[in-house]
Amino acid sequence: MEPVTMARALNLSLRDALAGDEQVLVFGEDVGTLGGVFRITDGLQKTFGADRVFDTPLAESTIVGIAVGLALRGFRPVPEIQFDGFVYSAFDQIVSHVAKYRNRSGISLPITIRIPFGGHIGAVEHHSESPEAYFTHTAGLKVVAPATPGDAYGLLRSAIADPDPVIFFEPKARYYMKEEINPELEVPIGSARVAREGSGATIIAYGPTVSLALDAAGAAEKENISLEVIDLRSLSPLDMPTILTSLQKTHRAVVVHEAPVFGGFGGEIAARISDDGFDLLEAPVARVGGMDAPYPPSRYEKLYLPDVDRILEAVDIALAYG
Amino acid sequence: MAEQTFRLPDLGEGLTEAQLVTWRVEEGGQVEVNEPLCDVETAKAVVVIPSPWAGTIQKLHARPGESVAVGSALVTIAAQGAPAPVEPLPAESVEATPSTLVGYGPGAGPPAGIRRRARVAPSTPQMGSDVRAAPFVRQLAKERGVDLAALTGSGPGGRITRADVEGAASPVAATSAAAAASTTDGERRISVVGIRKAIARQMVRSVTTIPQFTEFAVFDATKLLAARERQKQSGRSMTPLPYFILALVKAVRAFPLMNSSWDEAHDEIVVKQPINVGIAVNTSQGLLVPVLRGAERLDLMAIADQAARLIEGARAGTLKPVEMSGGTITITNVGASGPVETGTPIISPTECCVGAFGAIKPRPMVIDGKVVARSGAWISISVDHRIVDGALATEFLTALVGELETSRA
Amino acid sequence: MADVVQVVGTDDPVRPLFSEAGELRADARSGLGLDAAALRDLYQKMVLIRRADKEALNLQRQGELGLWGQYLGQEAIHVGAVAALEPTDWIFPSYREFGMAMCRGVDPAEMLTWFRGLSHGPWDPRKYAFAPLAVPVATQVPHAVGFAMGSKLRGDDDVVLGTFGDGATSKGDWHEAMNFAGVFRAPVILLCQNNHWAISVPLAKQTAGSIAERAPGYGFPGIRIDGNDVLGVFAAVRAAAERARRGDGPYLIEAMTYRMGAHTSSDDPTRYRLDSELQAWSAKDPIARYQSWLQGQGLLDEAAAAAIDGEAETMAEQMRTRLRAAVPAPAGEAIFGRVYERPPDPFTEEREEFEASLEGT
Repeated sequence: MEPVTMARALNLSLRDALAGDEQVLVFGEDVGTLGGVFRITDGLQKTFGADRVFDTPLAESTIVGIAVGLALRGFRPVPEIQFDGFVYSAFDQIVSHVAKYRNRSGISLPITIRIPFGGHIGAVEHHSESPEAYFTHTAGLKVVAPATPGDAYGLLRSAIADPDPVIFFEPKARYYMKEEINPELEVPIGSARVAREGSGATIIAYGPTVSLALDAAGAAEKENISLEVIDLRSLSPLDMPTILTSLQKTHRAVVVHEAPVFGGFGGEIAARISDDGFDLLEAPVARVGGMDAPYPPSRYEKLYLPDVDRILEAVDIALAYG
Repeated sequence: MAEQTFRLPDLGEGLTEAQLVTWRVEEGGQVEVNEPLCDVETAKAVVVIPSPWAGTIQKLHARPGESVAVGSALVTIAAQGAPAPVEPLPAESVEATPSTLVGYGPGAGPPAGIRRRARVAPSTPQMGSDVRAAPFVRQLAKERGVDLAALTGSGPGGRITRADVEGAASPVAATSAAAAASTTDGERRISVVGIRKAIARQMVRSVTTIPQFTEFAVFDATKLLAARERQKQSGRSMTPLPYFILALVKAVRAFPLMNSSWDEAHDEIVVKQPINVGIAVNTSQGLLVPVLRGAERLDLMAIADQAARLIEGARAGTLKPVEMSGGTITITNVGASGPVETGTPIISPTECCVGAFGAIKPRPMVIDGKVVARSGAWISISVDHRIVDGALATEFLTALVGELETSRA
Repeated sequence: MADVVQVVGTDDPVRPLFSEAGELRADARSGLGLDAAALRDLYQKMVLIRRADKEALNLQRQGELGLWGQYLGQEAIHVGAVAALEPTDWIFPSYREFGMAMCRGVDPAEMLTWFRGLSHGPWDPRKYAFAPLAVPVATQVPHAVGFAMGSKLRGDDDVVLGTFGDGATSKGDWHEAMNFAGVFRAPVILLCQNNHWAISVPLAKQTAGSIAERAPGYGFPGIRIDGNDVLGVFAAVRAAAERARRGDGPYLIEAMTYRMGAHTSSDDPTRYRLDSELQAWSAKDPIARYQSWLQGQGLLDEAAAAAIDGEAETMAEQMRTRLRAAVPAPAGEAIFGRVYERPPDPFTEEREEFEASLEGT
């Protein structure tokens, strides 16, 4: 198979999900005729018809709200939120209903909410945010974020097939990353992946920061520092065994995400490691992330976001603990 | 007239490349500011790119149908007095790198290592996953130069505790922290660090966790001194210490329970196989306890050699951490200098027994009903009452006295 | 009966000015009280803001801006609405109102630093009575209503203009703000720029009813007018503002226009829009229409028009030069500088650490 971009892999995944299950519906702003602002839904309306792939009015709250209703009626809705910064108006529906419906009624809602997230694309305000921690904090949701085209395909299939609601974060900075994918390969929710093996320290990343972590590991190799990179893929549930297995080898962990560090998801990872792997640690779990300031104007985003240097700086400190 | 090369910008929030559809200018032709240069197709749209400068087209860098990476040269224009575009932020490599996945993604950032501060020489982690110790303890071991792998953990499940590390701490590392002293109103406060702190902790732990009692005896050292004299004549001078150690080892072999420790987590007595004799040594750093390992396999001469080496090493601060850890029973020679007859030694927290020997000197003894002057010394043992009762301690002390009084060279 | 439907301020001074089709009546047009200079000024402003829009698109294509959202075709609304207000009346824009900002005196080169990625808020809203842009759709409408409520509480006689697109009327924020405006009788003009498209979604798929007719449901009047007639927009906004200033409450104006460009420079309208529709709207171009009306009135000769075009070129050139020369704020200031008035200590420490990390780069 030809290498495909992550955008194309997601498109293929939606296509196969729509073909495989008539109950799957894809909808959101501009997903129909236009094929989505990132073309993730390109051509789907043409193939599957405007009943199953449709444009909605501009209203995130109700896009998610009707997903609840459609799911109750037996469909598997796959709504799209156009950009990370626009999910907040749907927050009430997601937190109060999507996440809690089963607990309140015994009825499962197999909804997959797709959200492009993260920065590094030089965009204007509200288009580069990393709101994952709001959702990992919400019980009743599963939260995933692929980092590669192959995982994007497989994880989206798993998310749509899952009986519970899944928040599916797509790293838009990686939409045009290419690789060969294998549609047969299952990517279950809740399983992390060792993206690179190493022994000196473990970098834990997800979504857009995985390739950054790999870049850091490549740079470190030149200094004879061996770094292991874990691509979480799934934030909730979190694959602790993969993390702990790595720490048995490295005893040092550096968590990298684009979201601000204070109150970010890295805090949960660090706490879990402290809970389950306290004895393994030879250095405090380091967190590298965005500044604790609002996402800046795009010309400053590279300084705001984690980069190879900041990761290696954290690695240096972890290693200095001996 | 300055030549300037116009590079393909990111035309739509994170695009990486565009396909050149058609040129609207040709090499050698003139172009005005904002006059269309070419049409390109991105993943999002076909767009017309207007010229940023007026001037003569020097070179077209791509052919129709060709894919152009964002940041690659598109056209070179000999511009008429137009200022070069001001790039206000720190200059970036405009050549797209393969790892740059979108727009001016991470790959085009400053090269690794430039901003990084405080390069610290990385150390290779040696810790096997079988060593169980909390991060703090690992850090402490590093500070004190203690090899965790060489320690036997006294904590639950073999976990190495802070006390284990402190007990094995090396003097060299310990002295690295200077003791800061400050004075107020006639009293002087001494910041306690290093060995002093380690001793303090060990002692507190011992007396607060171990119910211990001490028994005393006096032994007749006549034969011991005679044997020592014979040794001396055959060219080998030694202190009484090797005789004490040998006697202790022999007594312990008869009473293995004296070579044990109490496992608080499991309410079990752990009887140790090798007899590793800790030798309390007064050094300029404070009290250190080098360990003579496997003493049950050594004869007097070997014990003498090892003990001498260990004591010297402790005083010189050249011992390895492993040589100061893993003791199973301890001996202290309180009479080695000065008039001290005896004392009540405190047990090392991971042991059951400690023995103290006083100075050997002539003292009145009753032999065959007569008071005679004989060389003798006090001996005392402190034992863990959880493991050993008074009767057993007495039997052990009796055996120890017996060994000392029948010492041979 | 207690439950009567009460329409706040049933007095409607706007509707009589317009035909059923929303065209400004001839007598109303001649009765606006604008002298020749004021009428020419409207033309000049439309030409200038169109030229700025064109130049910004060029700058985006040349890599100088990250993005540009054209307002091509909507100039009559931008110019007419601002001209109808007092300079102290606040305007709450969405993100396509650079023309309005220019009419308020904001420097276009400075404004463009927003699209250049140098600033989230290049102008002082208090200086121009012009709020920051609001990208999350419709979120500015409650702000406009709240500001107007505040004016009423303080007993000031200023009014507020909240403007938004047709897509915004789908969002809860819009409906909630409309309701509050009615309940609190806020002195606010709610100006919908109905340009027929919310990115790729056409009006018919956005809303099944009439936007203007929603106003009575919230207790105040609304009207649909021709948004490509600068005098019509001027007349409607001025009448609605006078009404609000009198204390008669909110008014909804749905100004019909057309987004002649793409949604933004990242968009490709050829995927969803027909050329024929574009051509039909080209015939209603607000500048061409007004120019020919002015010429008919003998208020604009060719020399005057050419002078204005020349002025526009000069402005565009300056805008280009000055934008390229825009000096960015130091990174520490840009990222941390305006977040808190009283920054917490850990925040300040993080800023200092960040700034220290930049030294030597």
